[in-house]
Amino acid sequence: MGRQSLPSRPDSVRLGIAEGQFPTRVRLHSGVRIAAVAALLCLPSGAARAAEWETLRLEPSGIVLAGPGRSQGFLVTAIDAGGNESDVTHRSEITSSDEEVVAVDALAGLLTARNPGRAEVRVRFETLSAENVVEVRERASEMSVSFSPDIVSILTLKGCNGSSCHGSPVGQAGFKLSLFGYDTVADHTMIVAEGGGRRVDLAHPEQSLLLRKPTFATAHGGGRLMDSNSDEYESILTWLSQGASFDPRGVQLERLELYPAERVLAGTGTRQRLVAVGRLSDGSSRDMTREVRYFSENDAVAAVSSQGLLSSTGPGLATVMARAMGKVATSQIGVVEGLAGSGFSSPEPRNFIDAAVFAKLRQMNVAPSDPASDREFVRRVYLDAIGLLPTPAEVGAFMDDRRPDKRSRLIDSLLERPEHASHWTVKFEDWFRNCQLHSQGRSMGVFKDWVRGWLAEDRPYDEFVRTLLTSTGDTMLNPGANFWHPATDFMLKEFSVTKVTPTVSRLFLGVRMECAECHNHPLENFTQDDFYGLAAFFARLRVKHGYGEYRRTWYLDEAGEVEHPVSKTKVAPKFLGGDIPSIPETVDRRTVLADWIIAPENPYFARATVNRVWHQYFGRGIVEPYDDFRSTNRPSNPELLDGLAEFFVESGFRLRPLHRLILNSRTYQLSSQSDRPGPLDHPLFARYMPRKLQAEVLLDAIGQVTGRPHEFKGYPRGTLAKDIYVPDGPDYFLVTFGLPRRDILKDRVPVPTLSQALNLMNGEAVREKVEAEDNILGEALGRGLSDEQVTAEIFQRAYARPPDRTDIGRIAAFVASERAAGRDRRRAFENVLWAVLNSKEFQLNH
Amino acid sequence: MLHLRPPFPAVRKTRRDFLKVGGLAFCGINLAKLLASERGSSERSCIVIFQHGGASQLDTFDPKPDAVADIRGSLKAIPTAIPGVRFSELLPRSAKALDKFALIRSMHSDEAIHERARQYVFSGTKPRNELLQPSYGSVLSKEWGPKDGLPPYVAIPQTDLSFEAGFLGPTYDPFISGDPNTEDFSVKDLTLPGGTSLEEAKSRADLLGALDSEFRKVEQSPLIDSIDEFYQKAFDLISSPAAKRAFDIGSEPDSLRDAYGRTAVGQGTLLARRLVEAGVRLATVFHGGYDTHVRNEPQNKQIVPEFDQAFTALLEDIEQRGMLSTTLVLVIGDFGRTPKINFSGGRDHWPGAFSVALAGAGIQGGVVVGATDATAAHPIERPVTIEDLGASVYRALGVDYRKSYHANGRPVAINKEGEPVAELWS
Repeated sequence: MGRQSLPSRPDSVRLGIAEGQFPTRVRLHSGVRIAAVAALLCLPSGAARAAEWETLRLEPSGIVLAGPGRSQGFLVTAIDAGGNESDVTHRSEITSSDEEVVAVDALAGLLTARNPGRAEVRVRFETLSAENVVEVRERASEMSVSFSPDIVSILTLKGCNGSSCHGSPVGQAGFKLSLFGYDTVADHTMIVAEGGGRRVDLAHPEQSLLLRKPTFATAHGGGRLMDSNSDEYESILTWLSQGASFDPRGVQLERLELYPAERVLAGTGTRQRLVAVGRLSDGSSRDMTREVRYFSENDAVAAVSSQGLLSSTGPGLATVMARAMGKVATSQIGVVEGLAGSGFSSPEPRNFIDAAVFAKLRQMNVAPSDPASDREFVRRVYLDAIGLLPTPAEVGAFMDDRRPDKRSRLIDSLLERPEHASHWTVKFEDWFRNCQLHSQGRSMGVFKDWVRGWLAEDRPYDEFVRTLLTSTGDTMLNPGANFWHPATDFMLKEFSVTKVTPTVSRLFLGVRMECAECHNHPLENFTQDDFYGLAAFFARLRVKHGYGEYRRTWYLDEAGEVEHPVSKTKVAPKFLGGDIPSIPETVDRRTVLADWIIAPENPYFARATVNRVWHQYFGRGIVEPYDDFRSTNRPSNPELLDGLAEFFVESGFRLRPLHRLILNSRTYQLSSQSDRPGPLDHPLFARYMPRKLQAEVLLDAIGQVTGRPHEFKGYPRGTLAKDIYVPDGPDYFLVTFGLPRRDILKDRVPVPTLSQALNLMNGEAVREKVEAEDNILGEALGRGLSDEQVTAEIFQRAYARPPDRTDIGRIAAFVASERAAGRDRRRAFENVLWAVLNSKEFQLNH
Repeated sequence: MLHLRPPFPAVRKTRRDFLKVGGLAFCGINLAKLLASERGSSERSCIVIFQHGGASQLDTFDPKPDAVADIRGSLKAIPTAIPGVRFSELLPRSAKALDKFALIRSMHSDEAIHERARQYVFSGTKPRNELLQPSYGSVLSKEWGPKDGLPPYVAIPQTDLSFEAGFLGPTYDPFISGDPNTEDFSVKDLTLPGGTSLEEAKSRADLLGALDSEFRKVEQSPLIDSIDEFYQKAFDLISSPAAKRAFDIGSEPDSLRDAYGRTAVGQGTLLARRLVEAGVRLATVFHGGYDTHVRNEPQNKQIVPEFDQAFTALLEDIEQRGMLSTTLVLVIGDFGRTPKINFSGGRDHWPGAFSVALAGAGIQGGVVVGATDATAAHPIERPVTIEDLGASVYRALGVDYRKSYHANGRPVAINKEGEPVAELWS
């Protein structure tokens, strides 16, 4: 498969990812870099902090003040050798090279423009120094107020255009504004023209509803939002007095920045000042610290005041957002109990995963748990790699193996087993929505077999994706074409580009586009144009009924365009956040999109994929939710994500090397037990978090422990749950334990339910296997095993460990009490088996 | 050490009982959570009769006797308790009982596909591509939690994709009852398997508790806590005589069972009443067979009288028991059906106009809201959206219909844009 050269390089900012967060090009994996990170881990710590300051940073840079009188807040940050950052604004000596141009108020952390010109602002802290050039422009003498950004900023700041007020899709009381001001043109029309123009009174500006409502001079459902002697009131009044115009040539806000972009705060109640800077279309900058609306996505970690003062409230990670005029900027805040001291230790890294994870743990002062024992490891890796419990013989062989690399050897052998392909086929069926509802159970099997074959051969994933995206034909003969089914209506008659578009962006780019179908994304810079530009690649795809009732054939029409719902014009295919490629009429547009998606240079594809795979092993993505990449949802460990993505590209997009790498890491092999469990354990992967077994794995495991595989109608005995083709009426047990519908993108829910508890306790699936004559009990009792031996057999099978003395004593006492209650030995052990199958040690992978 | 709560006797739990039990030996079960799950103070409840497939408005609540034959069909229209209002002859009992319930004839939507239409009508919010809105029962489960050890939301006899909790998560999915119109009706997984006594169940549950507490010594996670919580609830359900009694439809007098009709919908509706009386917040009765693309009339002659009997028996029953003022009864289906009878004698999907019946919980009986045109194709008076219906349902149940939950990183309203239909309370 040839790869075309890329028509465009995705612009990382437009893609909603902060600059610097992702390299524009996925770098090749570098051993040198890993060595450097590893070396960092070994640095002595706990020495006097003052001696360790290495770097000084003055933010923001590139300040261009629009005229005398304008100010800009700033931050001075010192960084020590361990990467710890500290706000030292008030401990630094700050000077301006020309006080006539820029004056410095060190106490307030503020620069103020005096006269046009340029000045250098210099900062000294201990032995370090930093400097920035600040420019002051000429400006019209009279202060003019613009609709955008001035008025829109006020509407945002006061919450007027929020989703629960006038920013809701239907507005409020007939007055509708765009959400957080993304559509300033429409907002202006709404204010000055709609409603019969009653909202503004240019002859008597102070009588305008736009002022009377928020000051509650006229009754207002939103209450009183400002005083008539406030700055905001003055600004609106000035704007109205000047004619309430919308100057299309006026200055627009192009980008918003928030400082510090990242900060680790130690202890609760620790404060950090935030500084917001707007970059305007005329090249000037504007201090928007008091003009943005702040929002902390996790108040239990960090709270932020309306003035931009951040305060830590508890350990964890939080993204703090600042929003104005449809733009958003974020700051990633970590709160730790204390910074890492000399007592911090972590296991020796085995590969770059460990280097990245342990470095982050050190920075956040979260101690990793101990390495998992061989017994913990063997059960875990069987369940994760092949979706089965190890047999007692397999456990025994592994425990007896004395070779130092026995874990790696086991991993290698498991990844070669057919059950590994079967286990991951189910995950692919979830991802690609192999759904009985849409394929009516028929071509579902064709798709499943094809996926299993692909995974068994470890053919490259990029080719797989390209095959799906460019597939046509009869779905019984061309398995890849089943990919399109979920984008049809229930009767499979009509294909909908608006259904396939968010699926493609989520699956392959890790970007959720659903919002943009109906309105511009409030948290991102995605617009309806982006959505329909992506949709246009599928504009010519069609489906028709095949020969049989449920056969469908997908084909390309010669013509067909996607129409923009607002402008009603046809939309040209456009890469997400990128360019509009020129595509000859004879070329299938989808091939162009597929090649763009799978190109190694695409910053999303590899990251989105490795994050999906990681999520399967750790129950949490490095970006979480794992298919929701955006600047307002940052990776918990960017180094780790980048390293995995590079590795994946370098391995030719093959999945098996990635599985091998993850399973071999110390990180995966950490114990699930922790002396001090904390909220950062999971996001930073400080231990293996216990997880529920997936429905198919649980059912197969119950079959393994009892010696009675679950019987599926129409399948030979012993068929694994992961290998059945889910028919029109799926197995009750599987549905209860979370087999997803797959007709929409919906994950298996990792939480337990009441029905699950009831089903394991009383349900037919467990009961029938526990009571079957020829099950493990029939076999063990028939062989004349002692109570202790039967107990050992059950424990070995279910827990991959022998019973300890406590267990043996407990089971013996239980069996005795059962006998005393009049139940026979077999029945007593059936109850032991029941208790084991219902126990958490069995139900969980840990 | 006990892990599960002793199964005896716990007929009716009070907060004090919980505290006492907590004081005994809950290895790590989050007591605050359990208490919180009993927070429901509402006395309101809801019974939904679901006309699966979408009932024909013309052959039920909105006949058009003056229309041409291939629209009106051969069924006659009969007078009702309210002068000037006529129903199909298949609803004689409902016609007499119209003073007890309200009718909206001017419902309309644009969803003609079953799955989406059902999700719409069961949540009061138009379905979107990727976010499933919670159904009414799921919202009540979330808002009120369980009462008296019973599951808050029950689907009788089966569930449907549209009954699900959507973005609220499977915790708030309905509990499935099984068919009460069978000889040996027992609720799936709720009753102990034959041959297992409660004493034996408790004995092995104690062993389970001991194994788990051993495991807990080394493993902690919120997941383990929540599994414990569900095992606790499951054991409560299994061992609770109240739950057993609530599902025991056999203890109803034969005369009452006959009054509801010995049909799936009849016995299902009676079970719903028992459950609601015992503490279930919302019970949905699934009545299949309305998707009459072929043989519309013969099919309706079979199923509509079944509904007529069950629905009116329910109204009378709950009125006699003094439950009418606190129980909302809601009759909904996917959509309406085409005015014109097709060449197979059937009627196809038609969301342009359809009827919904509501009773109890303060709804004024005898009110008929809206009207349709000469062929029952579109509302011509007081059109009502499904959003409005949703807001009305929440208002009748005392739930803030402007409420939002957090999902997919943003607030998602349980009901968008709807306004309660004020006439229902006039």
